[in-house]
Formats: sequence, C-alpha cells, structure tokens
Amino acid sequence: MLDAFVLDRAAILDRLGGDAEIYTMMLEMFLQDVDANCETLGAALAAGETAVLQREAHTVKGLLATFSDDDGAAEAFAIEQNVKRGELSGLNDAVAGLQARLREVAGVLKAELENAG
Amino acid sequence: MNTVLIIDDSDINLTLIKALVNKLGECNPVLFDNPLKALEWCREHVPDLVIVDYMMPDMDGLKFISAFRALHGRNEIPVLMVTANDQKDVRYDALLGGANDFLTKPIDRIEFSARARNMLSLRQGQRFLADRAEHLAELVEERTSEIRDREKELIFRMSRAAEFRDPETGAHIQRMAHYSQIIALGYGLDAKAQKLILEAAPMHDVGKIGIPDIILLKPGKLTTEEFEIMKGHARLGYELLKESRSETIRAGAEVAISHHEKYDGSGYPNGLVGKKIPVFGRIVAVADVFDALTSERPYKKAWSMEDACKFLEDGRGTHFDPLCVEAFLAGWDQVLDISQRFKDEAAPKI
Repeated sequence: MLDAFVLDRAAILDRLGGDAEIYTMMLEMFLQDVDANCETLGAALAAGETAVLQREAHTVKGLLATFSDDDGAAEAFAIEQNVKRGELSGLNDAVAGLQARLREVAGVLKAELENAG
Repeated sequence: MNTVLIIDDSDINLTLIKALVNKLGECNPVLFDNPLKALEWCREHVPDLVIVDYMMPDMDGLKFISAFRALHGRNEIPVLMVTANDQKDVRYDALLGGANDFLTKPIDRIEFSARARNMLSLRQGQRFLADRAEHLAELVEERTSEIRDREKELIFRMSRAAEFRDPETGAHIQRMAHYSQIIALGYGLDAKAQKLILEAAPMHDVGKIGIPDIILLKPGKLTTEEFEIMKGHARLGYELLKESRSETIRAGAEVAISHHEKYDGSGYPNGLVGKKIPVFGRIVAVADVFDALTSERPYKKAWSMEDACKFLEDGRGTHFDPLCVEAFLAGWDQVLDISQRFKDEAAPKI
C-alpha cells in the first residue's frame, strides 16, 4: 500500500521555473486525461495487449513523476518493467493499484485547482 | 524565428514542452502526437530543433531519429530526445542513432531552457557557417568570372596584336571565331566545346608575332623560301601557347598548329590527314578561309559570299573536312548575321 499522495507544490513549481501559468495548465491537463489513462490501462490488461500496457504504464510513470509522485511513478515503472520481462502474474492487482493511485492524485489536483481558482 | 518540432504522444507533455519553448522566445513550436505524421511534415519543412519523446506507439523516438536523419539535409539538425532517467540503454542507442542531447522526465524548466538554447545556438552556428560558405562561394564565382573575363580580353588583345602586323582586323577575329562556334554546333560538339572554340579560335594566327615584317608585310607574292618561313607561324603559335594552365589557351595552341592542315594531308606544318587533324583545327580552317576570302585585303578584292561558299564546297574532302563545310552551310543564316554584326573598321595604325 502506497503512502497517501501529498502535493509538493513548491517542488513542482521549482521544476517549472516558478511558472504558475504552466503549473495550472498541467493540472488541468492531468485531470482532463486521467480517465483515459485509467481506461487504457484496464483495456490493455483485459485484452492482453502487453505492448500497449507497457507503453501506457510508461506514460503514467512520466505523468506521476511530473507531479513529484515518486511512489506512484515507481509503481508504474514496476508494471512497465514486469510486462517488458514477460512477468505477467499479479498484474491485475498492480494495474488496479495504479488506477487507484491515478484517481487519488486526480482528487488532490482537483482540490488544488479549485483552491487556486 | 526558430521552428521547434515537438513530437510526443502525450498531450500533457506536448503542452508542457510547447509552453516551455514559447518561454525561450523567438520560437515557433510545431506539435505532433504522431511521429509518422511528424516525419511527413519533415519531408517538406526543415525544423531548427527537434524534441522527440522516446516511447510512442507506431514509431519510437529512436526510429524517428533514424528516419529523420535519413532525409536529405536533415543530418545536422539538432535533436533532443526525452527519456526517463532509468533508460540508460536507450540513451546510448539514441546517441549512436543521431540524438544530440537528452531531456529527462519529469521535465525541469531550467534544464530544458539550457539544453534547448544550446541546441538552438548550435543550429544558429550551422546556419551562419552555411550562409558564410554560400557567400564565399558567390565571391569565388564572382572573382573567377572576373578572371575569366580578363583572360578572354587578354586573349582577344593578344590575338589582335598578331593581326595588327598584317592587314587583318579585329572584326576578322570576331567573325572567324563566331563562324567556328557555328560549325562546332552543327558538327555536334557540346556546349562547352562550342564556347571553348569561340574563345580559342582568335589565337589561330598569334604565331605571326614571330614572323619578320619583311615577309609578313610584303605586298607582293612570297618566294618559296619566304613562304616556308611564313608557314612557321603555325608552330610558333603552338610553342607560344602550348604549356598554358588555361584550357582555353591550350585549345588556342591546338588551333594555331592545326588550322593550316588540309583534309587530304597537303597542309602544314605536319601534313596530317583527315580525322588525324584535331577537330578544332578542321573547324577553324573552314571559318578562317571563308572570312579571308570574303574580306577585302590590300592585294585583293573581297569575294562574294556565294563564290566563297563554292570554294568551300569544292574543297570538301581535299582542303576541308566535309562535315565541317556541311555544318557551316547548315548555319548559313547565322553566318550572314555574323558577317553583318562584325564589320571591318579602319585599318589600325602601327
């Protein structure tokens, strides 16, 4: 079980050179895409499309890293690597966990956006 | 304005990189979420910087870079590849495949700006060098053209120097050179050879410089001994010109030594027969004799064009190469035009 996601606004803003405009835009885009990310993960797993699953896990890893969610990114990375090596056992739980993490992060980011607005 | 091509299948990354590129200033970002479509775009456009993600459907970043580099003129364009820190093997492959540098996910604005600016500076340097090379090439062409013009003028003036010593005129040189060009065209020589003979033909009699005045300017008929000396002008001209580094002057040497050869072997100085006579010599023989016949000299009236033509026709296969006569007559309209364009001026005073 991962630790709860805590938004490190300062770290993200620091990486973006303090640009609040880009920061806000990224929050919006994450929220806009997160359902599609979850759906792609689930559909690829159900259909046994390992190449798609590996690629989507890679994308999600990048997304979560963008918001300094190191734990979530590590979970996505583990899926990506397992699929790459052909180790498919336990993937159902791992993917479900990653989907849950994405929704959790989305909830925090949504609140952040509402507070900022 | 720099055109920055960004390729990433993730909308959020595309948007983020676009925003960061806009912050660089003087950049026009062009976005693609599909590398194949980006490659199509690259066939028609040349970006100043490419930023490409590694992991994408249809075509990954490595394959994109390889295909991009294979396009003509895209070998030097800076390419930044976006990878995760853990993808060391991918980075090695990308470097070998033509990436110039990397951006690490998650993207950091400071790092992004520094690397992107470095790449754009590289591109600016490339453009500067390319512009400079083009400018230098233009300068060289300009200077070479000046030298060529000077060479042409010197050849003409040198040829005239020889002609000043006998009753022939500058107009004779112009006419016989242009007649030679017409024959070269009709004979089937290529454009370069046609130009070469136009420039080399004026040198045909340059060896007359070495003939004593008493013979060269003698108003009456030459004795056998005098004629033998006079014939020496062909070889003298050749000796004068033969070792030049200029292709035109070397062609002039060939014309000088061969323009008095006759097709049946009765000419001088070497008594060459038929195709053994260099083609430039065979051509100039027709042009020179025709113009000499149709020009007035102190010791003779000008022949009519028709009589001169008949002389050429009668000399086919004996004096002249039949193909050269045929080529000359085939360009008759141009011959008439040239004879009108280059009229004899007053005889030069020595």
